[in-house]
Amino acid sequence: MKAFANLSPATLAEAVELLGAARANGEVAYPAGGGSDLLGMVKDELVAAPDSIVDLKRIPGLDSIRVSASGTAIGGLVTVDTLAGDEGIRSRYPVLAEAAAAVGTPQLRNTGTIAGNVCQRPWCWYFRQGFDCLKRGGNQCFSVLGENQQHAIFGGGPSFIVHPSDTANALVALDAEFQVAGPNGERSVPASEFFVLPRDNLERENVLEADELLVGISLPASQAGRNGAYRKVMDREAWTHAVVSVALTLDMDGDVCRDARIVLGGVAPIPWRVPEAEAVLRGQQITAELAQQSADAALEDAQPLAKNGYKVTMARALVRRSVLEVSGTA
Amino acid sequence: MAEPMNVVGRPTPRLDALERVTGQARYSPDIRLPGMLYARILRSPHPHALIRAIDFAAALELDGVVAVLTHENCDIEWASGDRANPRMLFNNPVRYYGDAVAAVAAADRHTAEAAAQLIEVDYDTLPFVLDAEEALEPDAVPVQPGGNLAPPFGALAGGGAAVPGPAVYERGDIEAGLAESDVVIEDHYVTKHHNNAQMEPRTAVAQWESSKLTVWTPTQGITNCRDDIAEAFGLPYEQVRVICEYMGGGFGNKNQCQDTDLIAAELARRTERPVKLELTRKEDFLSIHGRWPTSQYYRVGAKRDGTLHAIELTGYSGMGPHIKSSGDIAGIDFYQCPNVRKTVHTVHTNMTTSANYRAPSYPQGVFGIASVLDAICHEISMDPVEFHLRNATRQYRDATPYTSYGLIDCIEQGAEAFDWSGRRWPVEADAGPIRRGTGMAIGAFTARLGLSNAVLRLDDAGTLWLHAGVTDIGTGAKTTLAMIAAEAMEMDLDRVEVVWGDTDRSPYSVGESGSRTTSHTGFAIVEAAEDLKRQLAERGPPNPGEELVAEASPNPTLEGEQRYSFAAHFVELEVDTELGGVHLTRYVAAHDSGRIVNPLTATSQVKGGVIQGIGMALHEELLYDRNTGIPVNPGYYGARIATHLDTVPIDVVFVEPEDAYGPWGAKSIGESTIIPVVGAIANAIFNATGRRIRELPISRDRVIGAMS
Repeated sequence: MKAFANLSPATLAEAVELLGAARANGEVAYPAGGGSDLLGMVKDELVAAPDSIVDLKRIPGLDSIRVSASGTAIGGLVTVDTLAGDEGIRSRYPVLAEAAAAVGTPQLRNTGTIAGNVCQRPWCWYFRQGFDCLKRGGNQCFSVLGENQQHAIFGGGPSFIVHPSDTANALVALDAEFQVAGPNGERSVPASEFFVLPRDNLERENVLEADELLVGISLPASQAGRNGAYRKVMDREAWTHAVVSVALTLDMDGDVCRDARIVLGGVAPIPWRVPEAEAVLRGQQITAELAQQSADAALEDAQPLAKNGYKVTMARALVRRSVLEVSGTA
Repeated sequence: MAEPMNVVGRPTPRLDALERVTGQARYSPDIRLPGMLYARILRSPHPHALIRAIDFAAALELDGVVAVLTHENCDIEWASGDRANPRMLFNNPVRYYGDAVAAVAAADRHTAEAAAQLIEVDYDTLPFVLDAEEALEPDAVPVQPGGNLAPPFGALAGGGAAVPGPAVYERGDIEAGLAESDVVIEDHYVTKHHNNAQMEPRTAVAQWESSKLTVWTPTQGITNCRDDIAEAFGLPYEQVRVICEYMGGGFGNKNQCQDTDLIAAELARRTERPVKLELTRKEDFLSIHGRWPTSQYYRVGAKRDGTLHAIELTGYSGMGPHIKSSGDIAGIDFYQCPNVRKTVHTVHTNMTTSANYRAPSYPQGVFGIASVLDAICHEISMDPVEFHLRNATRQYRDATPYTSYGLIDCIEQGAEAFDWSGRRWPVEADAGPIRRGTGMAIGAFTARLGLSNAVLRLDDAGTLWLHAGVTDIGTGAKTTLAMIAAEAMEMDLDRVEVVWGDTDRSPYSVGESGSRTTSHTGFAIVEAAEDLKRQLAERGPPNPGEELVAEASPNPTLEGEQRYSFAAHFVELEVDTELGGVHLTRYVAAHDSGRIVNPLTATSQVKGGVIQGIGMALHEELLYDRNTGIPVNPGYYGARIATHLDTVPIDVVFVEPEDAYGPWGAKSIGESTIIPVVGAIANAIFNATGRRIRELPISRDRVIGAMS
């Protein structure tokens, strides 16, 4: 790995300016929070070797969690571990705390930030192994005719990556808003609009433009978010991404479901919300039969590839079980 | 059960535990020499290609680059890299993704990496073949000039005529045996390439001082590594010194010398500077071998009363482009059976080279035969423990007695510790999505005897210096050997100093492979101690400035006997039939390894072997993209190496029959520990689900597929 300059801006504006200036000079610069994904990408030569790293960690005010009556603000530099252990998050948004706790390993959770976790690049094995694939400017997705056990059953084409983030699924389920800082100042993007499909943008997994940074996340103060869970199925017991996961919140009135959010992870290039499955639950008393109907609705439109049909079975069971568990019906 | 002796038989922490956990232990990557250059390797991006041209002018022009090696300017043969065909350090054609194409030595790592990227290689890509059976089809591309079927390993090892063909073993009459059987099971099992994944990747540091070459490298055999290097460079042995003070595991991956040792040495020779060559984890997965993948076809017959009557195995082992190891598929020798035929083809493919990984030919073979025998038990409604008590081997291949035999004790005591009779349910007893099951399998592994050497020096301060040509590959051998010396000399362990891991300071050792260090070197220590005690009795303790020295080079052999260690494993697990997960809930490993020298490290050996077996059974595979011939998951993350959370508390039972050989009857342990694991788990999954999964790993997709 070639040497690079480590730049430590004191403000967000300065960070954005440094990134823009590097680009203007024809240099390669990357922003780094925890840097855990970036370092691996650079070492594996999956991205151009940087001339400089813009270290965001010295910028004050981005590493706190603030809870108020109107909602909760999470700084982009809050570590995944802090998020998983925060009492306010655990009690108000258990789906998010559980998703954070399900990330990687203790080392990765200690290092990685929430912004970095949401923005991490795909973990498709073709992409990470350096195949000249669509996501890297090539002209084919090798998974289509290849080893697609881990690939998308929803929203695929022309690339069939799955989004790797655990927390992203929870944030979509919680109707989060993402704060984005860039050369033109700050803007706010709903979590549900932040992630983009390959058919809309092959190069990126989200709406961030050049030199834009995800700097904060706000969550609405919602009673519904208090009743949720994140369930993650892995192909070993730790240190890996979801084969299939579900982020679920249920707004319950007794045993009747007022509203629901069901977001599947590991099945699509973006966190995959299944409104059809939510609609099955809305206004209904939760029963085993209803949970099964909701699960069936969630997977109805799945389009598995040759080797990932098992994900349909798995996701259906995970939705059914999670609905029963969170509703207290189980 | 053997009674503890003064030192032997008592749980003893590793002598070097503090050095290891505090970072004081010096591994090969820790070696830094003045003026040292750093080397990097450029590897083939194709599974099979002819190199038309290599242009490294731009690399040489880079500031700090000192030397570049390619097949055009370096024709050193790596003899232990292939026993069937000549294997150079750099080959043309390249025969697997990751085959070494060039090596660069430069002033620092970054420059070496950048220089490797500047080397331009013009390839003519060739067709490739990954699968062993496909490689034997008439129109398959030849991976080696002599074709894809290799000679049987026995012929290679014996130095005989290396004519391509399968290895065949036969006794009785297989066709008659199958015809006489009341129940015959025919089945096909498939296992995958499974990387050793040892903690420490390969690093070699080489230095020439006039005509003497010193290589610091992680090796499981300093002597055979030295011999390989001397052969490659045409040097007398005494001009090569190999040092391995500490190493981070190998599991068969670090037998002999590696090409990295030779590349570092050649770069150091040409540049007249020390050279360090370090592999990344990914390179280690790509270019250092793992367990060979197999395809196993069985026909097995038994009588209605549960007596095994016929076993036929026709197998194919995909060895990659080079034959480093046997390619055998083992396990059927664990059973009494009058009619046996085994035919194993070792085959060249364009996958990465396969070779030894802990009990090299066993866990994959046991997955097959243990599954087939479990199917027979199911067919005739016989409890597997009863079946094994009836059919387990009593004599090696039904002909040669064992020096000691604890297999039945392992089965009985293991079953009792596990509570087999209380935990064995009918197949698919649970109706819900989570289903419990139990399974068992047995194993055996040689506890060979052979030439070894030990030197003992008793100094005037009363310190006993033990010189042994071993490296501690993680087994705790240094501690075990010191315990044997202390026991033999009737001394306290803290008076023993061990000198090891350096060919200039320690005597011959065969190498830490085949689970033989305790039996070989341990026995030499006992012999040397007998001599030293005689000297002490005759002359008394050494006077100031004097030492008593004793040396022994015993070469014990067996006549008309076989010496084996045995094991029986029992596992309970839950299968989530909807999510496809397998969760282990209980594990008992019963072992006959003769007398246990250090119960602490012996128990660790068992647990480590079981954990590796769990990973092999449920998760691990070096997965190749069939369309490009490139592996998609080389590394700890991608290949799904087991984590702590994938394990289960493992209860270890040692039965200790008396054995007349080795140090006070100690046999082998390291490799027997992984042998039954995969078979036991697969059988428990059948017990839970009623589904027999015939391809490894038994991952979630395969479980869900089997349930649907």
